[in-house]
Amino acid sequence: MNVPPVEQTPVLLDRRAPRRYVDGVVTGVRDFEEEQDDVVRSLAARLVEGDESALEAVYDRWSALIHTYALRALGDAHDAEEVTQQVFVAAWRSRHTLTPSPSALPAWLVGIARHKVADVRAARARDAGRLAAAVALPEVRHAEEQSKDDEVAERLVVRQAVEELPDPRRTIVLLAFWEELSHAEIAEKVGLPLGTVKSHVRRGLIKLHQQLEGVRHDSRRP
Amino acid sequence: MTHVDLDDLADLVLDPDATPDSVREHVESCPECTDRLAALFDVRRLTSGEPLVAPPARVREQVLAQVNDVPGDAPVRPVPLQVAAPPPEVARPRRRVPVWAAGLAAGVALVAGLGLGRTTLDDATTPGRDAPEAVVAAADLTALDSTAGRGVARAVESDDTITLRVQASELGGEDGFHEVWLINVDGERMVALGVLADGDAGEFQVPRGLLDEGYLVVDISVEPDDGDPTHSGVSLARGELV
Ligand SMILES: [Zn+2]
Repeated sequence: MNVPPVEQTPVLLDRRAPRRYVDGVVTGVRDFEEEQDDVVRSLAARLVEGDESALEAVYDRWSALIHTYALRALGDAHDAEEVTQQVFVAAWRSRHTLTPSPSALPAWLVGIARHKVADVRAARARDAGRLAAAVALPEVRHAEEQSKDDEVAERLVVRQAVEELPDPRRTIVLLAFWEELSHAEIAEKVGLPLGTVKSHVRRGLIKLHQQLEGVRHDSRRP
Repeated sequence: MTHVDLDDLADLVLDPDATPDSVREHVESCPECTDRLAALFDVRRLTSGEPLVAPPARVREQVLAQVNDVPGDAPVRPVPLQVAAPPPEVARPRRRVPVWAAGLAAGVALVAGLGLGRTTLDDATTPGRDAPEAVVAAADLTALDSTAGRGVARAVESDDTITLRVQASELGGEDGFHEVWLINVDGERMVALGVLADGDAGEFQVPRGLLDEGYLVVDISVEPDDGDPTHSGVSLARGELV
């Protein structure tokens, strides 16, 4: 079967020339985070009410997360697209089950994606005539894949959280954690004092931690 | 005792050498702070890997098309396969080894050949018989690769028997005959009901127990005339009885 070419649009790290940021941005960030939480909360509420524009906004914000998750878990572009589509259609149809909280929304979408990925795997196992094997070792197989998937999902949730940080924090955190630059190198690059950079990295790490904990917590809910 | 605040724990992750001994000593003796520190290290461990990859634009269009397909989101209209959507692997037409066939080969329960009663075509084309009947479930049939309508199937009840009335449409002119199946929502079991012998309509008696067991997905396949009783793997229409 020919898999149609995929027009992938990677969300790339911003590699534009280093910008110089005015100092003092750190103070405004707290408000920004709270504002973001409110945005997500009201998005979830609108979705539950059946507002289609909310679905569009939810799709625009989290489809890359879900698609990348499906792509990593299934290793097949066609299946990943199919799962992405199913997740958002299913999200719309079962939106009444969503509890509007900032981390519940992505946790809920990832939860739906987990199920869809499991469906595809089950179909593949049967398709390959490996039904007997799949039945014989369900726990081992399942547990291994599950923990791998969870790791993938968490990595992507963290990545999503970084993308949602306001700049320059986003750029600074990407440089520190993904490019592994030292704080001094980052300070040089973005033209901010070392102390400011450190503060951004620290607050960034804490924000990622909170986001991840939220998603973990909400994933555990029935 | 006061715990170490999150900022200091973060510094312990980011710059351990600069952390005062007092902080370090507290964390070492405090399970709670140790846990929080471990969680922060965990985040640091997870900060790697490639960026997110957006899906192609067509996926967005497909999602919105499917959602818009239900005007006003009226819950009265049955949405095919809402709960038990077949995995994409199943849904793709023209696979040589269909999922179910593989399942059948592996000994998964097949309820074919039970001698399911099948009424004649004449009955199918003359609705409205003596006994009063009630539609107990219905399925909007659609194509598998789109939401294009492919007719409707109704399960009607009269005198304690269930009859599935299938009125399909636009099944295409592909060679072979059209066979009606009921697939269990578990995606692993299916039963052949019979052939749409003339045109796109047919009527099949179904043991009530089958529906109760979850055989709710009506499927119409195109079957080559090869004597193979299993599903060809090419489905033209499908919908879930609700
Ligand atoms: Zn403590």
